[in-house]
Amino acid sequence: MGTSVQVSPLCGVYNENPLSYLVSIDGFNFLLDCGWNDLFDPSLLEPLSRVASTVDAVLLSHPDTLHLGALPYAMKQLGLSAPVYATEPVHRLGLLTMYDQYLSRKQVSDFDLFTLDDIDSAFQNVIRLTFSQNYHLSGKGEGIVIAPHVAGHMLGGSIWKITKDGEEVVYAVDYNHRKERHLNGTVLQSFVRPAVLITDAYNALYTNQTQSHHRDTEFLDTISKHLEVGGNVLLPVDTAGRVLELLLILEQHWSQRAFSFPIYFLTYVSSSTIDYVKSFLEWMSDSISKSFETSRDNAFLLRHVTLLINKTDLDNAPPGPKVVLASMASLEAGFARDIFVEWANDPRNLVLFTETGQFGTLARMLQSAPPPKFVKVTMSKRVPLAGEELIAYEEEQNRLKREEALRASLVKEEETKASHGPDENSSEPMVVDTKTTHDVVGSHGPAYKDILIDGFVPPSSSAAPMFPFYDNTADWDEYGEVINPDDYVIKDEDMDRGAMHAGGDVDGRLDEATASLMLDTRPSKVISNELIVTVSCSLVKMDYEGRSDGRSIKSTIAHVSPLKLVLVHATAEATEHLKQHSLNSICPHVYAPKIEETVDVTSDLCAYKVQLSEKLMSNVIFKKLGDSEVAWVDSEVGKTGSEMRCLQPMGSAAAPHKPVLVGDLKMQDFKQFLSSKGVQVEFAGGGALRCGEYVTLRKVGPTGQKGGASGPQQILIEGPLCEDYYKIRDYLYSQFYLL
Amino acid sequence: MASSSASLKRREQPMSREGDQLIVTPLGAGNEVGRSCVYMSFRGKTILFDCGINPAYSGMAALPYFDEIDPSTIDVLLITHFHLDHAASLPYFLEKTTFKGRVFMTHATKAIYKLLLTDYVKVSKVSVEDMLFDEHDINKSMDKIEVIDFHQTVEVNGIKFWCYTAGHVLGAAMFMVDIAGVRILYTGDYSREEDRHLRAAELPQFSPDICIIESTSGVQLHQSRHIREKRFTDVIHSTVAQGGRVLIPAFALGRAQELLLILDEYWANHPDLHNIPIYYASPLAKKCMAVYQTYILSMNDRIRNQFANSNPFVFKHISALNSIDDFRDVGPCVVMASPGGLQSGFSRQLFDIWCSDKRNACIIPGYMVEGTLAKTIINEPKEVTLMNGLTAPLNMQVHYISFSAHADYAQTSTFLKELMPPNIILVHGEANEMMRLKQKLFTEFPDGNTRIMNPKNCESVELYFNSEKMAKTIGRLAEKTPDVGDSVSGILVKKGFTYQIMAPDDLHVFSQLSTATVTQRITIPFSGAFGVITHRLGKIFESVDSSTDEETGLPALKVHERVTVKQESEKHISLQWSSDPISDMVSDSIVALVLNISREVPKIIVEEEVAVKSEEENGKKVEKVIYALLVSLFGDVKLGENGKLVITVDGNVAHLDKETGKVEGEHEGLKERVRVAFHRIQSAVKPIPLSAE
Repeated sequence: MGTSVQVSPLCGVYNENPLSYLVSIDGFNFLLDCGWNDLFDPSLLEPLSRVASTVDAVLLSHPDTLHLGALPYAMKQLGLSAPVYATEPVHRLGLLTMYDQYLSRKQVSDFDLFTLDDIDSAFQNVIRLTFSQNYHLSGKGEGIVIAPHVAGHMLGGSIWKITKDGEEVVYAVDYNHRKERHLNGTVLQSFVRPAVLITDAYNALYTNQTQSHHRDTEFLDTISKHLEVGGNVLLPVDTAGRVLELLLILEQHWSQRAFSFPIYFLTYVSSSTIDYVKSFLEWMSDSISKSFETSRDNAFLLRHVTLLINKTDLDNAPPGPKVVLASMASLEAGFARDIFVEWANDPRNLVLFTETGQFGTLARMLQSAPPPKFVKVTMSKRVPLAGEELIAYEEEQNRLKREEALRASLVKEEETKASHGPDENSSEPMVVDTKTTHDVVGSHGPAYKDILIDGFVPPSSSAAPMFPFYDNTADWDEYGEVINPDDYVIKDEDMDRGAMHAGGDVDGRLDEATASLMLDTRPSKVISNELIVTVSCSLVKMDYEGRSDGRSIKSTIAHVSPLKLVLVHATAEATEHLKQHSLNSICPHVYAPKIEETVDVTSDLCAYKVQLSEKLMSNVIFKKLGDSEVAWVDSEVGKTGSEMRCLQPMGSAAAPHKPVLVGDLKMQDFKQFLSSKGVQVEFAGGGALRCGEYVTLRKVGPTGQKGGASGPQQILIEGPLCEDYYKIRDYLYSQFYLL
Repeated sequence: MASSSASLKRREQPMSREGDQLIVTPLGAGNEVGRSCVYMSFRGKTILFDCGINPAYSGMAALPYFDEIDPSTIDVLLITHFHLDHAASLPYFLEKTTFKGRVFMTHATKAIYKLLLTDYVKVSKVSVEDMLFDEHDINKSMDKIEVIDFHQTVEVNGIKFWCYTAGHVLGAAMFMVDIAGVRILYTGDYSREEDRHLRAAELPQFSPDICIIESTSGVQLHQSRHIREKRFTDVIHSTVAQGGRVLIPAFALGRAQELLLILDEYWANHPDLHNIPIYYASPLAKKCMAVYQTYILSMNDRIRNQFANSNPFVFKHISALNSIDDFRDVGPCVVMASPGGLQSGFSRQLFDIWCSDKRNACIIPGYMVEGTLAKTIINEPKEVTLMNGLTAPLNMQVHYISFSAHADYAQTSTFLKELMPPNIILVHGEANEMMRLKQKLFTEFPDGNTRIMNPKNCESVELYFNSEKMAKTIGRLAEKTPDVGDSVSGILVKKGFTYQIMAPDDLHVFSQLSTATVTQRITIPFSGAFGVITHRLGKIFESVDSSTDEETGLPALKVHERVTVKQESEKHISLQWSSDPISDMVSDSIVALVLNISREVPKIIVEEEVAVKSEEENGKKVEKVIYALLVSLFGDVKLGENGKLVITVDGNVAHLDKETGKVEGEHEGLKERVRVAFHRIQSAVKPIPLSAE
């Protein structure tokens, strides 16, 4: 029997939630991707939390939040400690993506799910592989070989091949068969007949991909149309994934047209991103590496794009039409959200979405048809504390320090009161919650302090040991409101601009060490305003997602024709559609497990190994057919010294076997072949090939299927008795090998 | 036998172990340094490692011995790094020979390769006839070169290979090749010591069966890096302090970058030196800086960390010189210039000017190829010959401080001890050095399990690997695991060096191949009564079943369960069958029969006795044919007693019983061959049994 393989999704099946799947191969647990979405909802990770400690290895496929966003949190909070494998760009750009996420969040909320240190430590021990590198696992995973291969969706993006004992499990999500400017197309088609293919049905129902150069023309026309009437163009983008392709398109177009409109690429990590990308040429498309090899032109030496890492620089930029690419694509946080709010009410402006927004985000809402006229948006800002607040904060800090010192001595007392305390703790913050944050700090701070010094634990003060948590809880609530799109609350906007960005400005200069940016410990707080944004700007969506569309997915899967197929990551509708399609025409074993449902895809393949004796092999005559050679063998099992079975020639004459014709006849090729032999040949109706005057040739049986999954070919040749008939039959035979 | 495997055509069956023979032949770099090129062939797969020139010669003389091999048979050509002695004959080999295989090198190597060779073509001042290739050839070769990333596994015609970091220069690789499970490691030039910008050579995960290793440094031991760097900077510091000039002849790429990193850092730490200029006289190196800035991933962590802040390859104290005309020789200075061997060019021009002043110094930082001036002045001769033919006294100090990134003896022996390859082949080393290395390595591996060889150019090393061929039986055929004596029959599919046995029905499941059935339908004009056909067929064939076609209600016949004969209309009958040799034959004879009836030739039935007689005749004929075929195969075949045939080959005798097919004899191999041959002859000349399956 084959290797045991079980798949159980942890997140991201029957919907567009982030990807995270557990695959167990002979008891060795692989976590395939560890994604989160822009809403950072910890409840999504519950299934992961239950198994995190049993994971033996993590394989990451793409450098975006949906594929690796939960890694720092899982490492920190959920007890995930397995080694992580990824390609160099996925590691590096994934790290930058997480920095950007964190910095964007931190700017607008008291984000506490993970810190920069957590990100660093999560990514520190990533084992970096190159494409097609066969990495042999050791220890528990002895005998398992993993290898990333080109996926095409993002720089460094991988499909993973896991091999054990010759059985292949292929994990391929978000691949793109098309070659793009900066990426080669996926090599998924080169895998044939793996035991298991785990793939997404994300685009199964989406088949309307326009030709890429038409799309590019439309894309650039739309942008230039808005620029020419004096409008601004905002492209909400991801941090370091698909944005690279957009940058190249714009860069190229700008050089051809000699446009003078400025292009800005604005994320917290934009300059580091491009610096690293410049040194990732070996991961990019052939044309990019070729142009570097021959003329040393690095495609990512951007001449028309200005890299910005804070919004003040953008605000200081000369006025006039401009193109801004800013993160996050979901408009849930980051610079893109700020810019959107500023620009939305000018009808000359354009917000151009290049990918479908994540479910439940502002971007998704704006992409609905018809687009909403108004959206409620909560804008949050981090402002440094000043005046009273600052004093209060400092007192608070001092108090906390003293509290720490006290705590040791108070441990016992607290324990005795524990039964009483918590109740008070939980209720108290809720009461204070109705007030604004700084009020709380200002009025209650001294009170806590006094009481703690006294060592008393009366009801109001019992919250004090919980103070840091209390603060977060309050903000978390506010934050929660922010991220829930149905729940926009109204406030007004004014405290913006200069003051709040003063901090970001200074830190921004640190550039490369962006990481240190938020290590700034100056006291600050978050203020939220809710406002209604009138959406009068144009909203356009174009597909630059870089994924294969439905039709290509189907033909790719048909070509790969796995023995067993597992479908993940797509809406219920798309999953069901692809499942039915695959069942009908690709393979009989298609699974679409639900969350935490374990499917056993252990192959029922029988196999045993034999040794081919020299005697036997010396009498085998191979016939070459494409990449492989075939021969018929009649043999009997003999003994060897070891346990191994050995095949030896038959002692007596073998019973004759039914002759087998081996070969794959393509009608089109055969037609060419015949005409090269001087036979008049043409296609008649119904796929029949008319050879000469009388003879017809056709394929019968199940048609319209690609790949070899359909079984033996059936070819029918008919005609009257004539010389042509025998001639064509001979030609036909020449296309096959008779065994 | 129905199957066409009964064909008599068979491959030359080697009695030797030719299939298992692995040949390694250095075409260059055998007992010499320069023009690296090692040919290797195993199991019909052929690989060439490196394709260099000998920089000391020009024209054809600099090439490896390509005429020893047939370039068109080479499957894969692997280039380890961009140095001239490893890559410079590539344009020639790709454009001027019949080579049609695939070429691989790493990204950084490919980028520098072009710049370097273009420069080489421009600089080498040889006559047009001596030009091996021109710029056009280099550009054309760029399209044929494929890139491979470190650790990436590539498979070509069943040859698997991947590469490891080699340390030597940027992009340098060691190639591991796997042919049918036999692994060969070719180190190229490698260094196990991490320096300022490069990683040390990796230790491969697997131990190779053969290690083809460079031996440039022989048994020498390198000083530690810090001592070397200190000597280097001390010599320079004291020379310039005394008002002297320092010439560092170095090859433009590779070590030069390392030395510049050292100098730039030293100058940064010594403000008193800031007024002394350092020049870097190589437009080529300037061009290559972009490559160094890009392939940071191929370098070590130190550089990668520095890169995060500023580019370490933008030097603060070093300026570039484009030509000697831009150089104003006014006072103490440090000049690094190419070529490293002082053959000609900028470094030689400066040498000629500076060599007679004893305040000046010349630091030779790396390996010198035999026959170059740099090698000569190491021995500090009293006089040297200048480029204009005059002689001048050699007064300048000559220092040899090796920064060569070649593994020294300590590194080589530890590397080999870690890997424990059973076969070591030394290349790329001067003959005496190599001999000493070989002797010393023998003492390190005294157990005798390790073979160490140092073939000369064109001298082949032959090794034998009797690897067992393993096959995997899968699918329906494997449902039951057979016991000893059970028979296994199926299709054997060979892809690369993996074998699978499967049932024909499973072929499309487990391979990209598929089986096919060809159904034939042929219509024959026939206007007679169908009953006539039925009758005639019944006379000839053993089994003829009559039935009626369900659709048309017309009569139909099934002959031998294979061919269906149907009456289509008044004037036509049709034959339908599924193609295979027997059915085709049956159908042919039916066609002939029907045509005969149509011709209405009155036929006289042949008498019985004729048939008997012909059977006897046939028997004799068969005997004759068998005999003749055996003679043609084995030569000496005599009729022995009891009707047995005595076959003698090379003194080995086998007795063949024609009736049973039994063979007796001493020699197993011969016995087997005779048995198989007889079996095949029989199946060819004897009547075909119709009852296949």
